[in-house]
Amino acid sequence: MTTRPPSDALRGSLDLLVLKTLSLQPMHGWGISQRVQQISDGVLEVNQGSLYPALQRLEKAGLVTSAWSTTDHNRRARYYSLTAAGRRALGTELESWRRFAAGLEAVLRTT
Amino acid sequence: MRLVHAARARLRLLFARRDAESRMREEFRFHLDMEAERLVREEGLTPPEARRRAVIAFGLAAQHEDAMRDGRGLAWLGGLALDLRLGGRMLVKYPGLTAVGGLAMAFAIWVAAGAFEFTGQVLFPRLPLPDADRVVALERWDAAAGRAQPQALHDFAAWRSDLRSVTELGAYRLAQRNLITADGESLPTEVAEISAAAFRVARARPLLGRALSEADERPDAPAVAVIGHDVWRARFGADSGVVGREVRLGRTPTTVVGVMPEGFAFPVAQSLWVPLRLSPLDYPRGAGPAITIFGRLARGATLDEAQAELTTWGRRAAADFPGTHRHLRPRVMPYAQSVALVDGSALLVTKSSYVFFVMLVVLICGNVALLMFARAATREGEIAVRNSLGATRRRIVAQLFAEALVLGGVAAAVGLGAAGLGVRLLVRAFEAHSGRLPFWFHAGLSPWTVLYAVLLTVLGAAIAGVLPGLKVTRGLQARLRQTAAGAGGLRFGGIWTAVIVAQIAVTLGFPVVAFSVYGGVRGARTMVADFPAAEFLSARIALDREASPGADTSLAAFVARRRATARELERRLHAEPGVVGVTFAERLPRMHHLPHWIEVDSGGAAPQDPRFPGGYRTSSAAVDADYFDVLGVPVRAGRAFHAGDLAPGSRVVIVNESFVRLVLGGRNPIGRHLRYDWRNDESGPLSESAGPAPWYEIVGVVPDLGMSAAADPKVAGFYHPLAADVVVPLHVAVRVRGGDAAAFAPRLRAVAAAVDPTLRVDDVARMDTLSDAGIAFSMFWVRLLGVVSAVAMLLSMAGIYAVMAFTVARRTREIGIRVALGASRRRLVASVFARPLAQVALGVVAGGVLTVLLRDVEEATPAALAGALAYSVFMLGVCLLACIVPTRRALRVEPTVAMRVD
Repeated sequence: MTTRPPSDALRGSLDLLVLKTLSLQPMHGWGISQRVQQISDGVLEVNQGSLYPALQRLEKAGLVTSAWSTTDHNRRARYYSLTAAGRRALGTELESWRRFAAGLEAVLRTT
Repeated sequence: MRLVHAARARLRLLFARRDAESRMREEFRFHLDMEAERLVREEGLTPPEARRRAVIAFGLAAQHEDAMRDGRGLAWLGGLALDLRLGGRMLVKYPGLTAVGGLAMAFAIWVAAGAFEFTGQVLFPRLPLPDADRVVALERWDAAAGRAQPQALHDFAAWRSDLRSVTELGAYRLAQRNLITADGESLPTEVAEISAAAFRVARARPLLGRALSEADERPDAPAVAVIGHDVWRARFGADSGVVGREVRLGRTPTTVVGVMPEGFAFPVAQSLWVPLRLSPLDYPRGAGPAITIFGRLARGATLDEAQAELTTWGRRAAADFPGTHRHLRPRVMPYAQSVALVDGSALLVTKSSYVFFVMLVVLICGNVALLMFARAATREGEIAVRNSLGATRRRIVAQLFAEALVLGGVAAAVGLGAAGLGVRLLVRAFEAHSGRLPFWFHAGLSPWTVLYAVLLTVLGAAIAGVLPGLKVTRGLQARLRQTAAGAGGLRFGGIWTAVIVAQIAVTLGFPVVAFSVYGGVRGARTMVADFPAAEFLSARIALDREASPGADTSLAAFVARRRATARELERRLHAEPGVVGVTFAERLPRMHHLPHWIEVDSGGAAPQDPRFPGGYRTSSAAVDADYFDVLGVPVRAGRAFHAGDLAPGSRVVIVNESFVRLVLGGRNPIGRHLRYDWRNDESGPLSESAGPAPWYEIVGVVPDLGMSAAADPKVAGFYHPLAADVVVPLHVAVRVRGGDAAAFAPRLRAVAAAVDPTLRVDDVARMDTLSDAGIAFSMFWVRLLGVVSAVAMLLSMAGIYAVMAFTVARRTREIGIRVALGASRRRLVASVFARPLAQVALGVVAGGVLTVLLRDVEEATPAALAGALAYSVFMLGVCLLACIVPTRRALRVEPTVAMRVD
């Protein structure tokens, strides 16, 4: 079986996590970090310092787009949302990530 | 889609950098606020403590900002700024390179931008009128004959009433008239007979008085004129009471009704306007005077719509009047296009000249690249260290590019400034030579030219920076190891040899061309005519074809009247005190004579032009019977003309000494025959008669009087008698004894005005100053070429010197070791000099071939060849010097020291 790690466009798991989180609803940066932490029961803690560059990178790649909006508490925040390209990328990257993880798992089991 | 998104994000971020930064901070602030609030809410911290923890968790904001800038591709901006600063520092650190390289690039941009601007103004004019792009010209294109058919009075009237998409239709025709002011001064002036609509189309208001109106166009209206600002100043001393004053235009008493503001010269370059009073009723359809039609596109109409309407009109007219309109296709075009300054071939030349200038920039920047490369090579150590410290190859190349860009930027500013000046000089030189340019020519630089210069600068910086950068950084590590092991360092490869050879070749070509042009101009300037030219006053004379209302306007009547007028002028001039001779000629010595191709009976003796077998390129002029006698030119052989030669059908010519030498190889010309070779003729047959050209008998030989304004005065030429039945341009030459001939000019004008008020006297000049305007124009080109050559030479020398000195200096260690090993000095020197000398020799040969291609070999004067030879020797000298200095140093170096040289 040949497996392929996720492409360079998604640098490691952070990008994948961000895309996955945004696939549910548009969110601001802080919200993303909270959500990732929440879903993973605190196992995955997003390094806040690398979150924003990651968002920037994804936006540059055309996978997410951002717009200024107001929060429920009436504060200005920048909301990120998935583009159609981002949604497609999420699909393929998820698929290849799963294959990669499965391959890795298989290797780890046998040795 | 994805690409679009990405591009948009980048663009937005790029153009709104400041904005993006402040938003980035706002985003971070929001994050910190939220995190601090969460910590207060969930962990019960005090707000200041929560804030502190949030900041710590977030990390140093500045780092994120940097990371984000990297993410958005803005890092290079910061890097570029740094590179540019470094580049600026390098300019100061290496003043020699800055001066030579900067001068070189400034020069290239100066030449290229100046040429671009001038040709742009010729080819893509922008009218300085309000809403200029809606001003149009209309013409009737004869599809069968392939040219415009301007006898359009009937159609003009029809278009005026029919067309909806073009309004304010007007027409004009141009003429020269004598403007005679109250003080009796009579000067030929460019006059536009023009519709009143012109002033509305141009949206011009008079400075004083009024513009022309429709009422002025009625045949019974009083004669009125509007004068231009320059006429107002020159002829009326800018008198504000000029309106209402009476002047004469030729025979017609005319009232000045208005003065136009400065700069107004519609339709082309006129400064006197009279109403156009042509009625289509006076002429059959498709006949009558030639006019040019203009108008303004109606509000909301486009050029295409106007063309469609005209096309429809044209079809209908072709059906209605098949006799005159079958082949006519009415056309509408942007106004400036109607003034044919250039044709398609000029466009081609211009395009290729753009290519030439780009090549010039490439070549010169190649030279600068050479210098930069040499400098980069000396900085190899620094570059290697930076490379080892993690600077990527891209980064290093980018820095060299930035250095070249700074240099190029400074150079472009200088070059553009000079180009503005150059265009002004060019316009002035052009106007001095061939009259006023159309009013839309201006001295400034257009934004397009600036853009062109900017693009050239970037191109130049890419050549001068990126090329050496790539070369220096290629295989850097391997080379360092080699150097450490004792082998030579960076080497100049084949591409640089090619650059050097091309440099030498091109710089050889420039001076040869410049020198031979200069030789010609100097020849014309210093030529001593074989007659006392300073005692002669000459002028071009012309007569209005329409003599007086109702007179016979046939060609025959005009020729007869012209002849009679000339004889009357001659008679009255003879009566003037001091005048000892009056004669007429088609062209006078040192004026430009049109070249003709001729053949000689039983062949000539001189080598023939391979392009035109059997033909010889000669010049000719028609002269009065007493021409040589009045000029005091001795007849060297045979006889001069006599009155009998003036009869129609006379077939005799007198040749000049160059003709005998060049065409007949010095053999006796008397009794030989020549005839025009119309197959090759550039100007077409002299007379209207078709069929094979008749033979002319050579009856005499005179000295060379000069038949060219600027080129070599030793032109083979011959003279016809000024036959009574042929219309040619006419010049009068008056010999005035005692005093300055130029002082006779007012008398000449007065006498001419007394003979006939429509007799126009132009280009009045003492004969020894004739064609000075032509010479001045040529001198301008010579100077331009001289500057181009001088700078090209300077650059070439500097570049070649630098590179050769550098390559030899790089061999110091090798030379030192070979000396230590006992190598013969002679062989050492030979080995050092071999390559540079070969390069120069190759360049000289290539330059010679280039020169031959540029000019006809036969035209290259011995002086030009000598100059080229001297230049080649000089070039070799520079090259030797460049080699000698470092070689001597290397030979003297102690081997132990040589080993330590890196």
